[in-house]
Amino acid sequence: MTHGSGSHRTIAVEGLSRVEGEGSLRVDVRDGVVEDVALTIFEPPRFFEALLQGRAAAEAPDITARICGICPVAYQMSACAAVEDAVGVRVGHRVTALRRLLYCGEWIQSHALHIYLLHAPDFLGCADAVELAERDRAAVQRGLDLKKTGNLVMETVGGRAVHPVNVKVGGFYRAPDPADVAALAGPLERARDAALATVSWVAGFDFPDVEGEYRFVALRGDGRYPMESGRVTSSDGLDVTAGGFADRVVEEHVARSTALHARLDGRLEYLTGPLARYALNADQLPEVARRAAADAGLGPVCTNPFRSIVVRAVELVAACAEALRLVLAYEPPDPPAAPVGWRAGVGTGATEAPRGLLFHRYGLDDAGLITSARIVPPTSQNQLTIEADLRRVAQAGLALPDDQLTWRCEQAVRNHDPCISCAAHFLDVTVVHR
Amino acid sequence: MSGSGDPGAAPRVVVVGMGSEYRRDDGAGVAVAEEVARTCPHVTRLGPIGEPLDLLGLWDGADLAVVADAVRSGAEPGTVQLIELSEAAGTGQGSVGPPGTTSTHGIGLTGVLRLARAVGSAPRRVVVVGIEGSEFGNGVGLSPAVERAVPHAVGHVRDLVDPAG
Repeated sequence: MTHGSGSHRTIAVEGLSRVEGEGSLRVDVRDGVVEDVALTIFEPPRFFEALLQGRAAAEAPDITARICGICPVAYQMSACAAVEDAVGVRVGHRVTALRRLLYCGEWIQSHALHIYLLHAPDFLGCADAVELAERDRAAVQRGLDLKKTGNLVMETVGGRAVHPVNVKVGGFYRAPDPADVAALAGPLERARDAALATVSWVAGFDFPDVEGEYRFVALRGDGRYPMESGRVTSSDGLDVTAGGFADRVVEEHVARSTALHARLDGRLEYLTGPLARYALNADQLPEVARRAAADAGLGPVCTNPFRSIVVRAVELVAACAEALRLVLAYEPPDPPAAPVGWRAGVGTGATEAPRGLLFHRYGLDDAGLITSARIVPPTSQNQLTIEADLRRVAQAGLALPDDQLTWRCEQAVRNHDPCISCAAHFLDVTVVHR
Repeated sequence: MSGSGDPGAAPRVVVVGMGSEYRRDDGAGVAVAEEVARTCPHVTRLGPIGEPLDLLGLWDGADLAVVADAVRSGAEPGTVQLIELSEAAGTGQGSVGPPGTTSTHGIGLTGVLRLARAVGSAPRRVVVVGIEGSEFGNGVGLSPAVERAVPHAVGHVRDLVDPAG
């Protein structure tokens, strides 16, 4: 909704469509200058941080997985990494490979969902994915097939396609049967080809000519594109452990939001997610994804936030190719989980959720009970940068009519796939009398 | 352990527990689906599912999908309603709110059904068994009226999935 006249204009969107969860945004313009922008979000981790206190650390992966319906694996992986850091458990390379395969499944389903059902309609003038499906059924079908393959990987490794139940601190409850894992190869080959077609498709969209100025923060992979582990690096030279990073991130309360806004060293805003991962790790992409990026015209760094859909598609290729590699090399971990001896300590775990860096920090007592919990999701880290994008996009689009400017501002938010999730899920029912 | 099984052989009857057990009465649908799955071995339980979009690929081709979910319609807390979603989604002006009203998820349940229909993967029939909730804040545990309504809702689901029983 937009309103205002003369020299004062306000763009306000109460319920952001196609953003996971709930959110609203407001842009105030005075005398042709964007005066204030505010993205209001409702964020659930604070409740879970309180809920976790006094619970067994072994429960952290399953409890925190319920924070987000779209990226439960990310919460499980960061929780496991943090608890293992606290008690000094090192997992073997087979467990690491299996975790990475599970994570690939989540990246595939999450990226396919965002690209095809939430983001692409913006570029094609469709109100939503339903309209897109009516106009281009084949494209939406391709997206849904990709999502299905991601679900299949999650089900095979994680035991369930939604909210996997096979993950535990130290590894897995059960190693998947080699025949079941091998059966993923065919679907993943088809998914890789569909992902390549996705890159070609989105690279042909028209993109507004907007460049952001970003401080990128992402894990740096150790020879592979980062997902389940790595040091935290930035485009301006940061290179620290997950624990070192957590020490430097300061979060502040903002009255309009239940979310905390994160700043590096208490003052610097930064961006995590596909643009950041790509800028800091393009050289670590699998060859097939690197070629796809070059064919799509992506340079080594992409700073047009609207082109994040292309970067996300390149990551979709990477996740499919990486999953296929892991499937072909699969060796069941035996035992499926490293033994865990509980002791007092503090640990931090950082992994790359599809939409950006997610870190957990737990304090444990000597019985393995959680004494403190800190969960910092990508959206709270990206919030200030998203608002800066909004300011830039709104300023550049002031000549647009209100409805188009509103649409452009909503797109600016969706570019970063913010997870504003875990609103209550009840149906609002309205009875229509005719 | 539940799941979709082989996605090439979709289950004929699925019962979906929609919602989050960490948002009080929003967990009503999850509680109903769990109880149904415990007592009706021939149905496939999906969930807990928080995002309706997650249903795509999981409920494909089912003859009947029963979605147990908390609702907010202004009725007395604990009231159980049955809503035939197939007809509502088909006309675009049915009794359940338009796509997106499921608390501004990416796409609401009716939108997801319309999307599934557009690509030919929708269940033949979708029925929402809605339990009127009143407490949707952070926390665990259903409010007393909703807790008492769960067995009634389970009975409705059983009638739907096993009409002869």
